[in-house]
Amino acid sequence: MKLLVVEDDADLRRQLVSGLESNGYTVEETADGQEALYLGSEFSYDLAIVDLGLPSLSGVELIKQWRAQERNFPILILTARSDWQDKVEGLEAGADDFLVKPFHMEELLARLNALLRRAAGHAKPVLEFGSLSLDTVGRVVSCDSKPIKLTSYEYRTLEYLMLNAGKTVSKSELTEHLYHQDFDRDSNVLEVFIRRLRQKLDPEQKLQPITTVRGLGYRFDLSSS
Amino acid sequence: MLKSTAGLASRSLKARLLIASFILLPMIIGVAGYALQNSFSYSLQASLEKRLRLQIYLMIGSAEMQEGKLVIGEGQQLRLGSDTYGYIHTHLGLLQWESTNTDELSAKVKDSIVASRIRIGETRFLYFEENNLYLYQYPLQWDDGLMARRYLFSIVESGAQVTAELNAYRTQLWGWLFAVTVLALMLQTLITRWGLKPLSALVDDLHNIERGYSTRLEGYYPEEVQGVTDSLNHLLHSERNQRERYRNTLGDLAHSLKTPLAVIRGAGNEQLLYEGYRNVVDDQVRRMDQIVQYQLARAVRSQANTIAHATPLAPIIKRISSALSKVYREKNVDVSLLLDETALFGADERDMMELLGNMLENAFKYGHSAVRISLIKEPEWVQLNIEDDGPGVSPDMRHVILQRGARVDTSAAPGQGIGLTVAVDILSSYDGHLEVGESSLGGARFKIILPTG
Repeated sequence: MKLLVVEDDADLRRQLVSGLESNGYTVEETADGQEALYLGSEFSYDLAIVDLGLPSLSGVELIKQWRAQERNFPILILTARSDWQDKVEGLEAGADDFLVKPFHMEELLARLNALLRRAAGHAKPVLEFGSLSLDTVGRVVSCDSKPIKLTSYEYRTLEYLMLNAGKTVSKSELTEHLYHQDFDRDSNVLEVFIRRLRQKLDPEQKLQPITTVRGLGYRFDLSSS
Repeated sequence: MLKSTAGLASRSLKARLLIASFILLPMIIGVAGYALQNSFSYSLQASLEKRLRLQIYLMIGSAEMQEGKLVIGEGQQLRLGSDTYGYIHTHLGLLQWESTNTDELSAKVKDSIVASRIRIGETRFLYFEENNLYLYQYPLQWDDGLMARRYLFSIVESGAQVTAELNAYRTQLWGWLFAVTVLALMLQTLITRWGLKPLSALVDDLHNIERGYSTRLEGYYPEEVQGVTDSLNHLLHSERNQRERYRNTLGDLAHSLKTPLAVIRGAGNEQLLYEGYRNVVDDQVRRMDQIVQYQLARAVRSQANTIAHATPLAPIIKRISSALSKVYREKNVDVSLLLDETALFGADERDMMELLGNMLENAFKYGHSAVRISLIKEPEWVQLNIEDDGPGVSPDMRHVILQRGARVDTSAAPGQGIGLTVAVDILSSYDGHLEVGESSLGGARFKIILPTG
């Protein structure tokens, strides 16, 4: 999952980025509203975290402009001021949720999780596809209620495919949304992950949850239950 | 010059009024003087014409035929003044008779006497500007029993007398008008100064406030200014209160933040494990956060006695509930709004936003799937009911919630928000009150009464 963090306070931004990265998110960051506007319009993100009090372009204005350009990723606003005028203005501009500073990292992660799932059309925190289920809160994948051990990268790959179930996800999209920029895009690491995922999820090759679409990418093929 | 005048005029009311009078008044008086002078000149000429006609009648009365000519005999008692000249011509311009002094007249005037033909029944009255002479002519048909002949009686008079009278009048008129103008401008200046005196006094009073000699506008002001001074006094008063409140808030804030800071510092010396230290820091950060939120909300909040607009409540409720529906989208809350759109309440919109935001968020947070909000307008108050289908509030908790001004920095339990405390605080500053009960939805029902009477 690729997130954009727009926060002008360097300390808080550093904390946010490291907290999010250690929880498996790919994060891009900026302190400036204008730069954020450019990034959000040019690149694709799964979610943006926006501080309302930004220099050069206010958070509310940034959100309005993104929405005017039909950028539809979920937006979580952070605000230091707790008054309702600000919160309501932010939500009316197009944000999806707000969090008042100071906050706990756990609280932020829970909100992100809910927003990401909601954006993918899943109301519940557990994504269920037949006998396979993925708990986005506990970050646990299980088959017939038996937990399956996955590495962080494997989990993230599966979560992304499940949230985009039925759609073909290209290799470059997967790479972009899951891994840091310094990740070697030319290697066949992705193919290795997919192969290992298939082995772990479906050792007897009965379910065949992930289809390789030749020349295009991968598709998660089970239907949601 | 023009620019500097305009600049002065835009800065000073007195200058504006005076510039207007000093330009307009002389103009008006000048026009009036000109009109008076003209009408006097017309009336002088009219009376002269009348007098000359009379002279002609006398000439006609004295005229007789002598040797085929119509003349005025020597023996006749016709007296023309020294500046008056008489002529009798035939209608063809042949001189019949002239008065003795006519040698003084120039040939040009003499020519113009016979230059034009006048029909019987008409008269002619002319003014020769270069000689300052007036001419009056009267044609006549003379019937001596044998035949009727036409003659032209003319009389010429010097305009010296008319000019002298006109000049005397002019001198008098403009002298008086000048005196009136000067007097009027002096009066106008005094009136302006007197009329604007309260404003100068107001400026002085304001200076005194700036310098700190006084705290309010004390002077006695005329009705028109009293409204402004009352509002200013009101503003000064609320500004002073606001400043006082800020100072108290800062004091309270500093005071109440020191306790949690002391706890954190102490915990640093206690050699706690990471988890223990983290818990202490967490608790104290939450406590400090609540203190800051609560005290800021208190300080920023406008006082109920400042000038408040009638704020429509229904739009605020709609905005907040649609924003909250977005935040609590996962709960799929069924929101029913029964709002009287005409309900207004004299309060600061921000205050109402805070009050309603905190109350509605609780309903969305604690309700399972349904929230009902009704707004009812009564003659003396506005009633707002916020209901949900959550767990409700137990009777002993209701009492705690309603305690006014409970200090969060000393009383807040961990995890308990300060939203309700802030809401109750705002409510009491508008003399409103809150009742907590049970809703037919199964959860809590908060009934808010805002007095409008």
